[in-house]
Amino acid sequence: MADHRFRPVSGEKPCCDISKKAQICLCVVFGLLVVVIIAVVVGIVMWRQPPQHREWKGAGTTAHFYEIILGRCYTYTQIVRPELGHKDCQKIGKAFTNAFLSKDPCSSTEQDYQPLMELTNQTVPCDKTLLWSKTNELVHEYAWVQREFFTLENTLLGYMADGLRWCGDPGSPEMNYQSCPDRRTDCSNNSVSVFWNTVSKRFAEDACGVVHVLLNGSVHNSFDERSTFARVEVFNLHPEKVHTLQAWVMQDIRNISSDSCSDASIKNLKLILSKRNITFTCENNYRPIRFLQCVKYPEHSSCRSKI
Amino acid sequence: MAYKGDKNCTAIWEAFKVVLDKDPCSVFPSDYDHFISLSRHSIPRDKSLFWENNHLLVTSYAENARRFMPLCDVLYGRIGDFLSWCRQENASGLDYQSCPTSEDCENNPVDSYWKMASMQYSRDSTGVIHVMLNGSEPKGAYPVKGFFADFEIPYLQKDKITRIEIWVMHEIGRPKVESCGEGSVKILEERLEKMGFQYRCINDHLPVKLLMCVDHSTHPDCALNSAVTSTRREAPPLCAEHGASLFIPFLVVLASVIQL
Repeated sequence: MADHRFRPVSGEKPCCDISKKAQICLCVVFGLLVVVIIAVVVGIVMWRQPPQHREWKGAGTTAHFYEIILGRCYTYTQIVRPELGHKDCQKIGKAFTNAFLSKDPCSSTEQDYQPLMELTNQTVPCDKTLLWSKTNELVHEYAWVQREFFTLENTLLGYMADGLRWCGDPGSPEMNYQSCPDRRTDCSNNSVSVFWNTVSKRFAEDACGVVHVLLNGSVHNSFDERSTFARVEVFNLHPEKVHTLQAWVMQDIRNISSDSCSDASIKNLKLILSKRNITFTCENNYRPIRFLQCVKYPEHSSCRSKI
Repeated sequence: MAYKGDKNCTAIWEAFKVVLDKDPCSVFPSDYDHFISLSRHSIPRDKSLFWENNHLLVTSYAENARRFMPLCDVLYGRIGDFLSWCRQENASGLDYQSCPTSEDCENNPVDSYWKMASMQYSRDSTGVIHVMLNGSEPKGAYPVKGFFADFEIPYLQKDKITRIEIWVMHEIGRPKVESCGEGSVKILEERLEKMGFQYRCINDHLPVKLLMCVDHSTHPDCALNSAVTSTRREAPPLCAEHGASLFIPFLVVLASVIQL
């Protein structure tokens, strides 16, 4: 029978040997270490996460926006209108994005777009400006066939931006691909709307001679006071340069009604223009564009028996 | 074209780029194999539109792939459309001054590209095939040696094609050099018949004629009553092999009567 008491070997239970004070110290240091590690991990995770953009009600920036505008710039200046081959597309692309990156997309101004406007200045020959309202498809089909006419979308800047959406965010150097402000439900001074107002204004200011406008005779308000045509373009035509505005009012070929040129809204347009000293002329169903409509409905009676 | 979102443009460019390092007289259609395999996509049935000598008219009529999808509205056709490219003859880097044409050498980058693209476009075409030819072209509406003849017709997939529709368009105010059943158009019709295709030929297909009239609205040819008439020539049904000598004239007469 062993009546010895074995002394515990000193290595087996180390903490028992360290003083209470040292134990506390160790625990604190250990705790701090854990906190530091957690903080570093969280920091890395947060840094890697893209900065959060504000959420808007409209669709976000078009995917590959920058590559698209750059590519379109080169296509336009090298192939569509090679007389503009001297334009610097790299500079133009940068000026475009600088207009809205890192800025509040609801506080866009004309000034934001000034550097871009200066780089993309373009002369449209007199009598060749073609405005439009509620005739998007038809007017561009016509301009494609009659290449001497220029709609805004046939100018360099219009061509680059057509159909695209873009916006930035004050807290971030990135474009917001998730959402962008909707004109009606978020704000009207958004990056895209301000762009089109700015370029439309210049397009109208630069026009000379006879200016044409393609209007839709099959909708309620052919001349709509809320449209860009009414709000911006009509009011920025210069009477010293533009002596006549000629309207072509096209009706849907399947539904030809009375004389659209005598509509109340068209009379309103005539009044506005006369106050500005610009002559107004109007033609119903302008024949060349009627042919264009007939391409879709070749068997229609008005496409068959028309002299 | 918004539904092609699965394509990787960077990879497509990398595949295309290899050609820009090659001797400009040693670029073969097969050099574009990888490029085509990455950019290839299906063509909607009945929407293929082949053509010769009327590029701008075809592009207008096709309406950006809404009405038809000609080669220039397919991704691998759109990429190269209106462009030319080649490496310098004795150095690396692109030659911005000039590039070899088919007269300089056969295996030049641009011709090889369009040969490859044409073959693929043909292979992927299904349903009703449409061909627009220029009946005012002095050298003939159907070039017997050309992209359509050599790199498209041979690659049409007979089992996937219902029939072929030929439109011979005449330019407004220009002479009618050839029409259906005449000259090179006749050669084309005979070739298609021999290959076993159902075909029909229409002079001045009305919707396209109306489009041409946009630019010539006051021309007498565009007084619509005359623009409406068109003559048709049809291939006899294959089963009417025997008695074809009587059957064909009968069909032609019947077709003309229906037109009046």
